[in-house]
Amino acid sequence: MVALLFKRLFHGLVALWLIATLVFLLSRLLPGSSGSENILLANDTFYTGSSSSSRELAYRAYLRRTGLDKPTFYFTIGTSVEPDTLHTIYPEADRLLLQKLAWQFGSWPDVVKFFTAYKALHQNLTQLQEPKLLAHLQSLHRSVDPDVLLPASQRLRKILNGQHGSVELEQATRKLITKQQPYNALLPQIRWHGSQNQYHQWLTEAVQGNLGNSYRDSGAVTGHIGQAISTTWWILLLSMTLTTLLAVELSILFVRKRGAKWRRAILPFLFFTDRIPLFILALLLLILFASPDFLQLFPVYGMGTYIPTGQTWLQNALNMLPFMVLPIICLVLVNLPYVTNQFYSSLADVSEADYIRTAKAKGLSEGKIIRQHMLRNALFPIITLLSDFLPTLVAGVVVIETIFAIPGVGRLLIESVLARDYPVLVGVVLVVALFKVMSHFISDLLYGLADPRIRQIT
Amino acid sequence: MKKTATLVCFLFLLLSFCSQPQRQPDEVRVRLFNDPENLNPINYQNSSALQIINLLFQSLLTVDLEDNGLKPLLAEELPVIEQGDTTTLFNYKIREEAEWADGSPVTATDVAFTLKVMMAPLVNNEQIKSQIEFVRDFIHDKTDPKRFTLVCRSFSPEMELLTGDFFILPEYLFDPDRLLKHFSIQELVEAAPELENNKNLIAFAGQFNNVKFARDKDVLKGSAGYELENWTTGQYVVLKRKENWWGAHAAAATTYLTAFPEQINFQIIPDNTTALLALKNKQLDVLSNIPAADFDLLKKDAAFTQDYALAAPDSYEFNYVALNTRHPKLNNRYTRLALAHLLDVESLIKVTLTNYGTRTVGPVPPAAEPFYNAGLTPYPYSQAKAENLLKEGGWRHEDNGWYKTVEGKKERLTLEVNYRAGNTVFENSSLIFQQHAAKLDIPVVVQALESSLSKQKSQNHEFEMTFRSLSGNPFIFNFKPFFHTSFSAQGGSNITGFGTPETDALLDAINAAQTEREKARLLKELQRILHEEAAIIPLYYLKERIAVHKRFANTKISGLKPNYDVSAFTLKD
Amino acid sequence: MQALYNDIKQLWRQKIAFRVALCYLAGFTLLAVLLPWLPLRYMPNDINLDKVYAAPCMGGSNSNWFGTDALGRDVFANTLFGARTAILISFPVASFTALLGLVLGTTAGFFGDSGFKTKRVHVIVSVIAAVFLVYLGLYVPIKARVLLPSNTSLIYYSVASLILVFVVLWGLARLLWVRFAWFHKPIALPVDQIILRIIETLTSVPRLIFILVLASFLPPTVPMLAILLALTYWTGIARLARAEMLKIKNLPYFESARSIGVTQSAMVFRHALPNMLGPLLISFTFALASLLTFESTLSFLGIGIPNTLPSWGRTIAGIRHNAAAWWLLAFPGTFLLATVMALQVTNYYILAIIQARKK
Repeated sequence: MVALLFKRLFHGLVALWLIATLVFLLSRLLPGSSGSENILLANDTFYTGSSSSSRELAYRAYLRRTGLDKPTFYFTIGTSVEPDTLHTIYPEADRLLLQKLAWQFGSWPDVVKFFTAYKALHQNLTQLQEPKLLAHLQSLHRSVDPDVLLPASQRLRKILNGQHGSVELEQATRKLITKQQPYNALLPQIRWHGSQNQYHQWLTEAVQGNLGNSYRDSGAVTGHIGQAISTTWWILLLSMTLTTLLAVELSILFVRKRGAKWRRAILPFLFFTDRIPLFILALLLLILFASPDFLQLFPVYGMGTYIPTGQTWLQNALNMLPFMVLPIICLVLVNLPYVTNQFYSSLADVSEADYIRTAKAKGLSEGKIIRQHMLRNALFPIITLLSDFLPTLVAGVVVIETIFAIPGVGRLLIESVLARDYPVLVGVVLVVALFKVMSHFISDLLYGLADPRIRQIT
Repeated sequence: MKKTATLVCFLFLLLSFCSQPQRQPDEVRVRLFNDPENLNPINYQNSSALQIINLLFQSLLTVDLEDNGLKPLLAEELPVIEQGDTTTLFNYKIREEAEWADGSPVTATDVAFTLKVMMAPLVNNEQIKSQIEFVRDFIHDKTDPKRFTLVCRSFSPEMELLTGDFFILPEYLFDPDRLLKHFSIQELVEAAPELENNKNLIAFAGQFNNVKFARDKDVLKGSAGYELENWTTGQYVVLKRKENWWGAHAAAATTYLTAFPEQINFQIIPDNTTALLALKNKQLDVLSNIPAADFDLLKKDAAFTQDYALAAPDSYEFNYVALNTRHPKLNNRYTRLALAHLLDVESLIKVTLTNYGTRTVGPVPPAAEPFYNAGLTPYPYSQAKAENLLKEGGWRHEDNGWYKTVEGKKERLTLEVNYRAGNTVFENSSLIFQQHAAKLDIPVVVQALESSLSKQKSQNHEFEMTFRSLSGNPFIFNFKPFFHTSFSAQGGSNITGFGTPETDALLDAINAAQTEREKARLLKELQRILHEEAAIIPLYYLKERIAVHKRFANTKISGLKPNYDVSAFTLKD
Repeated sequence: MQALYNDIKQLWRQKIAFRVALCYLAGFTLLAVLLPWLPLRYMPNDINLDKVYAAPCMGGSNSNWFGTDALGRDVFANTLFGARTAILISFPVASFTALLGLVLGTTAGFFGDSGFKTKRVHVIVSVIAAVFLVYLGLYVPIKARVLLPSNTSLIYYSVASLILVFVVLWGLARLLWVRFAWFHKPIALPVDQIILRIIETLTSVPRLIFILVLASFLPPTVPMLAILLALTYWTGIARLARAEMLKIKNLPYFESARSIGVTQSAMVFRHALPNMLGPLLISFTFALASLLTFESTLSFLGIGIPNTLPSWGRTIAGIRHNAAAWWLLAFPGTFLLATVMALQVTNYYILAIIQARKK
């Protein structure tokens, strides 16, 4: 048993590492980053006090400061047409153009020649202040189709009478097209970056318990997550306990002989609540129980009001209690149908078994049979379900946290995704995964305890 | 079962008693739609943070929401400007009375320190750094520690605002060890690469980039009338009025140097419906950005209007459609004009905004009457006119579509319209346009783009037609970033690629105009050209929708963000 | 099969609820199929700006029976077409999800960590093939699509070379198999562990991140989201199927069946699957229902997709912008509820038959 436990623990750690790696890499695939949002893509106002070049410089300084200019992983598998140094090219629009050209034409030296000729002409035309011609040049930037590039470069040469480097551009274009090896992109190439990469840095820190700092306020990620968990901890725990208890009681009620009429009355209601999208359910509850138009029983939002003087924890809890009622009701209503159904169906399954009939024949009371014999044997699906329950709760409360204005883990996650705050994003997923792996571990343990036969097999 | 029922009933009863906490009358409760996240005056991230920092720190100049005019705040008067050939000098004097939280005076040294923080390498200042890229040097006055001169490169009209727009930091709190003292502004402007290895700079950056300067109430103390009392992430931010604040004794003429409410309580409520419910429950005193449909309902609600005043000032938020003039399909102005005639703006305002919008002919707000070109009429919605314009643009109508030979290829007129995902107003507007264009056999694909992707695509000219918004103001009309060709490169803010040497000259002339009349004439000319070229299709200026509790007077409701001045609120009687 | 048919026929005669539910489902399917040919007054995407948020009204020649939404679109037409979308998208996706979960979960439970044995050569060749599949079958086509939207030949060449690689690998496998005895040795694949790890990983990464990553490559559309949902939703069903399989595997009759020499597949199909049907049908119904309204939740969180596909979720989501327009929730909501209830009732009776037959 102990050896088995260690094996499970090891598997859990591997799973954790896999999840963290996957999320880390996925998050780097998201478009934009916290820095580029705020620095490069300044919001539109009547005046912008800065040119795009100075913003570009600031952006690169930002990347250097945060280490985001390093490669993401130890190695990259890419196509052989892209050079190793592609990721060092700025601005990013130029990098993208070079990449497109490389994929289209497959010969890097010719791409570079074309690009330098293009840049030189662009420089010359900017100095000449010829916006109309610049538009022509821009069409070269828009497409990498040979049927567009060649005519466009020829037209430019004609308009410019071969001056300002337009001849060179046309020659480079011609060479690019005649010497193209378009299917070079199919050849893979592995590039090794060594330990100077973002993932390595993050992982070494994470192993030591440091999940990095938020991009938004430079606060420690662990602090942010801790705070978010502490605000929603009671809501999650209470709603989960309440749901499980209610589900067990209800399914026992249903399975009883006299329970059929209860089942017919309650089940449709549960289905009804389950079918309503969560945000509508929450708003409905708010309108019913927290608005002056109907019943004004509970406060609308938040987790307590600010009271300046020091308070005991009991006063604090009493202060928070009314705020938690609606969110908890909401969560219970949302999760109850599914859980009850699963409990009920496994209980109903067991009730057909031979030993139950034997027990009945022995004259045991119905309640005793259900609680002592059936429940124990129906534990399997219940354990599976519960082990997945807590993490789903954590990730699923986003809507409720938004509506009731509770700063919990769900909101932290969605806000970090939308703000591209990678360290917080990866941190939240990691913590949720930790919960999950732990609960799976515990459920495996319980499996073993509940059914000795499984211990031997797994 | 019965026991549980009684228990639940009992709980409900108990809770109903504590659902309405007691409130102080001179505490103002304001809704924020997101957490400020970071209250550092140099690297704050969102508008909620800006609104709060404005009550903690002060800049040299400010906009008085009473009349939307630029006024001196920490400065005694608007700067004296000396325009030279290559440089412009801005001479400022800080108010005599102005002092920090510990009673020490605000001096030119603090301003210089702030500029140094904004310029220093390694410091988390990248967002704001480029805002003051035109500042070249800083000259202390030899005799008066409150006087100084900013040396700036060339001249543009917004410079006056920008030189006074940043929050002044107290050196004694932000740099107690005087690590930046020995650097000169000029040195930092030149930004030699070896600065990045300087011991003092590394030490300062290490300190400043710390979370302490984003959240700590002992450090975030400025010269304004409020102090941070409590900030519970995601729930509330409480500000308390300073005792004995210098502004209270300052010259009587400054009606905008205010800190009246004893306590300001910012409540963070992300969802609109919840905020609205909280307002109806009187848990909030101020709510802005109320959805148009709900605003209309509130207006009709007699019980509500007894306690709350509703206002819908003309805002400076401008919605428009940008067309990519560099796209071969759209580089002809007749084509663009045809599309402009296919946009039923009147209906858009009626349906998507329930009439809370004001139509405009161009980017100058109709509220800025002297500059608005009233001689132009907005494009009418007309299928027939659009059809004629398309024909003039070289398109031929055949087999249920419009065709034209573009760059040697026969191409069909199709359009891809994109907007920022999650914006319902734009989504509905695109769908309406799609239907109207379909009547004329123009297939339109509507696409929602994730916010940063949408910005990226526009700035790289990788779009055809896009819905956008622009926030402006009534005092600076510098349209260079949007229409000047020098901003039209990849990543520039002139996303439409509009511009000719003539319009460039016109834009420069607007910025150099010496008199208001001259400026008005030039701006009207610009609007006329924009109207003819239709690189952007102007839609409307939005009306802001605000509710404020009636026990407050002097709310200074304005079209400018944040649409009210909470520090000026006074209790009626 | 004959017996099952007879049972159903009997149920049909005896239980009114069953009859109603089946009729409803049949009518629903028929409607969805025939809808394009029905003479409808409005189409679901027809915008009418003069009749925004019109209340339901029965009389008149051009009235909207179920009212209209924010853009004056007819709610009646949207409800009907929403049913069609439900049949054409949500049903296949939910079925696919259930099937995927069932297959993977049963496999994991049945083989465990040591039950699945294969030859060394197969493992090695499959791994190499998988690497090429990811590079030539996914990476190159997606990159090419994003970078060079007009250049499709690169994608064709990529797929062609992938097939070529597969053929070569197959030949290589044959060659190795004949020449070297080392490759003959069987290895046990820890199927259970692999599938469990995949489940854990998938359920731990928020779906939102998948959607946003997807949106950065390709414009998100409803079918795209449906595929993504199918690929992430199967985990719940798989875990249930695995747990049931583990339980069934240890029941006495399963062991005795094995001892009398019934083949593995026959054991799974004859004995294990019918036992799992109960929980699976429930999961399927729930997955279906959450698919039906998922997009309305997405639009609540501000991750909108341009919705030109009429669906119940789209209409219901409209209530957020005008709480007074109750008809946006009421009509599609009723249909949604009725559909799920009908499914539930049918499920219930079919389960009852199966249980009765087990006895």
